[in-house]
Amino acid sequence: MKAVVNQATAQYKHSNLMYHIDTHACMSVLEEPWLGFWLPIAILCISVGFWLTDRKDWRHRLPILTSITALSIIGIHGATTRGEDSPETALLAVLLRIAGPVSMMALGSLIAIFSGPSPVGPLPKFLRPMGFLLAYGGLFWVGWILISKPSSAIANGIGEIIWSTWVNVFLSMMILVSALAGSFCIVMGERRQKEATILAALTIAGGFMFWTIMKDGSGGLDAAGWHEIHWNQMMVVIGGLFGMITASIGFVYLVVMAERRQPDPDVVAPLSEEEKSVVDAVLRLHLDNLEDE
Amino acid sequence: MSGNKDSWWGPIGLLLFLIAIGMDLLVWNFSGGVEIYSIVQNMIIGFTLAFGMTSLALLVVSLSAVHKHMRWQEQVLGLAVFTILGISLAYWSLEESTQSLRENGAILIAGLIAMLAAIGLVFGLLLALITGRTHEPDLLISLKSTDGDVEIELEA
Repeated sequence: MKAVVNQATAQYKHSNLMYHIDTHACMSVLEEPWLGFWLPIAILCISVGFWLTDRKDWRHRLPILTSITALSIIGIHGATTRGEDSPETALLAVLLRIAGPVSMMALGSLIAIFSGPSPVGPLPKFLRPMGFLLAYGGLFWVGWILISKPSSAIANGIGEIIWSTWVNVFLSMMILVSALAGSFCIVMGERRQKEATILAALTIAGGFMFWTIMKDGSGGLDAAGWHEIHWNQMMVVIGGLFGMITASIGFVYLVVMAERRQPDPDVVAPLSEEEKSVVDAVLRLHLDNLEDE
Repeated sequence: MSGNKDSWWGPIGLLLFLIAIGMDLLVWNFSGGVEIYSIVQNMIIGFTLAFGMTSLALLVVSLSAVHKHMRWQEQVLGLAVFTILGISLAYWSLEESTQSLRENGAILIAGLIAMLAAIGLVFGLLLALITGRTHEPDLLISLKSTDGDVEIELEA
């Protein structure tokens, strides 16, 4: 009886085993950064291209599917590797760490915008204080994250470098953009002092945090480490910003060059000798008819 | 200052430049200085790598959006040349190390996301504050249309 049962379930067990082997092999393949991180980023770029196609094009239906596939592969890659393993996993750990507060700030800002007295605000007005509470809560959460000790995934090696770069760039940009927006409010005048004051406070708070971490260090990195991040990785990012702008200008130049080389649709090719003779014959026929009349 | 709004970008640009220089001087003071050569070298690495990565991203987007009415040759070939040029130069600058290339690529993406997060935060907050402003009712809005019937009394 046992032999019969074993014989009957052998195929099932075999297929189940194959399933586990296949799943494990698939996971192992996706641990490779080129396949688990950079390939999905390329797929996301392909999704953008598909999304830009004409509405009637068959590719226009695919962006959601390809985007979900790419994000799933990145998710599997992040789940099967650790922060110290590779820079890609460390980057995912950094994004996971800031996802909460940044989402909270974005949600709070949106609620505050759309529940204001502006005519584009369809949300109830009593939600506005809650929106500001969420936005400022997210801001304080970010502030706390910036100076607290990071999780183990981004506390050492390349993870620490990527996290510190994120913090340094975020603080620097917050100081500069807040100063820009606050100055703009003052220049434009018309009772925008309240907005300018809040943005000035944001600039000062960001400046104070920047000064503190550069002078005394933070929970996870000493001051010398922050200086190294500023002079090495920060400069890579600044150079990278100019590189991205230059590549975008180059792309625009290529498109303009292609448009200029496009043949002018208004210019018609001259008539061939055969066509000229046909036209000549038709004109002569009509002119003769006119003369007869 | 609000009387001369046309030239707002000049003083604001100068202010931002001074703040950026001030931040660098602060770090310079605390760190005890750094070689200018290494700063320039890091900026060149970032420039070439970002140039190559952006060109590659645009190339992939262009290839996936190709259609029959498009003059794709200049765009695709040009972007392919830019990509090869940028990534080859970055690879050469990083002493032909693929690991360093990946690390700097991840650092660039982290920096880009940090920039976007900071810009989104500040402008989101500014927009939320500005939309809360109340205005005095505009008398022009309360006027009713006469459907073009206008009577004008002219004094002789």
